[in-house]
Amino acid sequence: MADGRAGTTEPVAVAAAVGFHGVGKTFSVPGGGTYTVLHNLSLTVGAGEFVSIVGPTGGGKSTLLNLAAGLLVPDAGDVLVFGEPLRGLNRRASYLFQSDVLLPWKTAEHNVMLGLQFRRLPPAEARVRARDWLARVGLAGFENRYPHHLSGGMRRRVALAQALIIDPEILLMDEPFSALDVQTRQIMENDLLELWQEDRKTVVFVTHDLEEAIALADRVVVLSAGPASRVLGEYTVGLARPRDVAEIRLTTGFLDIYRRIWEQLRGEVAKAYAQRQR
Amino acid sequence: MRSGRDNAEHGWWAGREVLLAVQALVLVVGLVLWEVLSRRHPGGPSLDPFFFSRPSLIWGRVQQWFTSGFIYRHITITAEEMILAFLIGAALGIALGFVFGRSPLVSRIFDPYIKVANALPRIVLAPIFALWFGLGVLSKVVFGVTLVFFIVFFNTYQGVREVDRNIVNNARMLGATEADLVRHVLLPSALSWILSSLRTSVGFALVGAVVGEYLGAARGLGYVIQQAEGVLDATGVFAGIVVLSAFVLVVDLVVTVVERRLLVWKPPAATEEAR
Ligand SMILES: Nc1ncnc2c1ncn2[C@@H]1O[C@H](COP(=O)(O)OP(=O)(O)OP(=O)(O)O)[C@@H](O)[C@H]1O
Ligand SMILES: [Mg+2]
Repeated sequence: MADGRAGTTEPVAVAAAVGFHGVGKTFSVPGGGTYTVLHNLSLTVGAGEFVSIVGPTGGGKSTLLNLAAGLLVPDAGDVLVFGEPLRGLNRRASYLFQSDVLLPWKTAEHNVMLGLQFRRLPPAEARVRARDWLARVGLAGFENRYPHHLSGGMRRRVALAQALIIDPEILLMDEPFSALDVQTRQIMENDLLELWQEDRKTVVFVTHDLEEAIALADRVVVLSAGPASRVLGEYTVGLARPRDVAEIRLTTGFLDIYRRIWEQLRGEVAKAYAQRQR
Repeated sequence: MRSGRDNAEHGWWAGREVLLAVQALVLVVGLVLWEVLSRRHPGGPSLDPFFFSRPSLIWGRVQQWFTSGFIYRHITITAEEMILAFLIGAALGIALGFVFGRSPLVSRIFDPYIKVANALPRIVLAPIFALWFGLGVLSKVVFGVTLVFFIVFFNTYQGVREVDRNIVNNARMLGATEADLVRHVLLPSALSWILSSLRTSVGFALVGAVVGEYLGAARGLGYVIQQAEGVLDATGVFAGIVVLSAFVLVVDLVVTVVERRLLVWKPPAATEEAR
């Protein structure tokens, strides 16, 4: 543990964008009983920071993001957004869900426009900005396609444009690229970094892929296996930016930190796996 | 594309043109047999034209109806009843389906009543409606509405309930109000369910109109058939059925076009299934 937190002594940020303070979340299980997903979890994400969260499956990573989004309310502890306790939905955040959530009955352009429409922007202006965003995620010319006419990678790009068009201060991402093939994934990771580089939003990026977590983030947070997950370790990734996710994986700095985190994560993955077998 | 697949699976005879030709042939053979048998051959098997009429007679009657203009007002009235029954039934079904789908309390309270009302064979209501609403258009429309309503209601209810939770959450995160949710997420989702049953509900609207007319009316295709039956005019009954069938085909064509237009976003497999 001491080693795990060793790298985080540098000031995280003046105002934390997202703060979990002693957060607990328990679900009632259908058929009686309860299941504690998170217990006494504390974690802060600085403004403008790119934080990756890794942990074994079922460890409560999506639950953590849902808490940050305001879609779930903690049973214990507080969720702070820029220092304020979160009430209702987190209006300063966009959320890229783990599953495919584009509206199948709307074209790419209309899906991207949604957030602006909900903000009552004039349709003509919303449309121009949606087209602009589609171009920025590399989908110029696909404006009038319906989601089922787009590949998985393209749908993720549309979802990214949909999340970014409302210019959120915080971007919550739940395994956004895990369903993509390796090549598509690397291209999207690089594109994401490039977009992020432009205005450095706060990003909370959940993944089960440690390589991806390190390649993208300023800091990697390791969550323990469930039940009652907590933060096991936090590792600052001091690798230079801008980065190329494919190349950075080969540097010694990367391998070094990978080895250190994997040391800790391996045990948790084994634990989670053993629980599944029971 | 479809016939190509059929070809591979069933051999040459299932090709689209061949299939159509064979289907037409079946019809022609059937009609010819009917015609020949109804012209009484001494000794051989025969159909009494008094009961079974004869294709040439029926066709003649249909032609006469159209040239004299007699049939038009009946078609118009049936179409009017059908369209009204469909529109009103669908509107009520969508509205109530929404309320039930969004409010667990309402749906729990009224669940048994809806179930019973749906299980009731609605045909027994037709005479009562004739009593209450007279022999005009209104009683047929009300009867058709009771048929259409439940189909649309259950599909809307399902459509509202089955929306992916994360799709709703995503829209809410993007800033959707409850009204936005209904307009952009819930209604389109329900609409795809409603459209998948469009053929059935339009069909029921027509059944409502025709059965209602049959049981008591002064106009409409159901009335025409019933009148012919009343004077034991088999030719008239069959001619009425022919006109009604042609009417159904036209309605079906319209429904297909509407479905195609409104469900462009659906993957082909799902659209195929819905048809
Ligand atoms: N609404 C809920 N009701 C009951 N249990 C739930 C609910 N949501 C999540 N859980 C349980 O909480 C645990 C953590 O779920 P969560 O989705 O947060 O995990 P995760 O870390 O995101 O997993 P994965 O990597 O597979 O996405 C799981 O065991 C899950 O079954
Ligand atoms: Mg998850």
